[in-house]
Amino acid sequence: MLEFCQWLQATDVFTALRGSAIVYPVILSLHMIGIAFFGAMILVTDLRLLGVAMRTYPVTSVVNRLRVPKRIGFAVMVICGVLLFSTKAEEYYYNIFFRIKMILLALVCLHALLFAENVYGSAAEMDTSGITSKAKIAAGASLVLWLGLAICGRAIGYIEPPLEKIHAFLHTAAEAPGTGAPALRNIHD
Amino acid sequence: MPLLMILAAGVNASELIFPTLECIHIVGFAMLIGSIAILDFRLLGYGMTEQQPPELYKSLMPWTWIGMAFIFLSGPLMYSSDPDMYYLNWAFIIKMLCMIAALVFHFTVRSKVVGLGAPGTGKAVACVSLLLWASVVFGGIFIGFVTEGL
Repeated sequence: MLEFCQWLQATDVFTALRGSAIVYPVILSLHMIGIAFFGAMILVTDLRLLGVAMRTYPVTSVVNRLRVPKRIGFAVMVICGVLLFSTKAEEYYYNIFFRIKMILLALVCLHALLFAENVYGSAAEMDTSGITSKAKIAAGASLVLWLGLAICGRAIGYIEPPLEKIHAFLHTAAEAPGTGAPALRNIHD
Repeated sequence: MPLLMILAAGVNASELIFPTLECIHIVGFAMLIGSIAILDFRLLGYGMTEQQPPELYKSLMPWTWIGMAFIFLSGPLMYSSDPDMYYLNWAFIIKMLCMIAALVFHFTVRSKVVGLGAPGTGKAVACVSLLLWASVVFGGIFIGFVTEGL
């Protein structure tokens, strides 16, 4: 895994991206715009299932209508996330919050496997026979997982990278002597 | 500004306070901008199209306000941790200008157009609204990447 991370960030395209002062914050901004534009769709869907928000609307007109935009949002966030990771793959590899975030992301996939069909795919049934307790569990779990993802995402930037182990550090320092060090000071600052 | 100094002492008292405020800020903007975006996407013809915009505006309002409360609680406290840095940060200044523009637009043009249900104008309003809020997010991220003060 570590070898893969070292190879990935050493590729020409990601070495170039890492060297750019503007590309990384732009991709990070797009990652955050993903949260801003689509995060509330997850929230509203889950709160509708919990009976907290939009109670007067049919479950179908919330769950079914938001399905496609939520998927687009997820894709935007994942694509930006992969790009962010690839520029400094080795640094992320050592980051404990990044690892926790990936576990949470795996749990989000598991959540989808468990509930996609019998909860989110059964909105019409819930409109006639009421919201099942399974749906409420799914909604609660989803809220907890996404809150955890947001918190871990922010926390990644607070971990100091182990500079003595980082391969890309030498790479950048060699290219621009004396200015390489600050480029890898911290992932988000 | 003695008040700012007291706030700064509080925010800087523990290493965990600032990151906690940042997380509240993230959840807050997800609610504030997200609840606005759901209606903007509706105006563009995507997402919750089974509801009429004025109806959707009303049912999203509480979430917009809760998000705003989170944002206006955490934001000024983060600012107080290091006011000079923010004051001299060009990204912060652009963010504040975009935020003021976005809020003014939200409470004036956007709420009127949604209420009137004027066809045609809705799409333009939605685009302006989404662009303004996206600029606020961009400004916020760039604050951390500005290396030289004004």
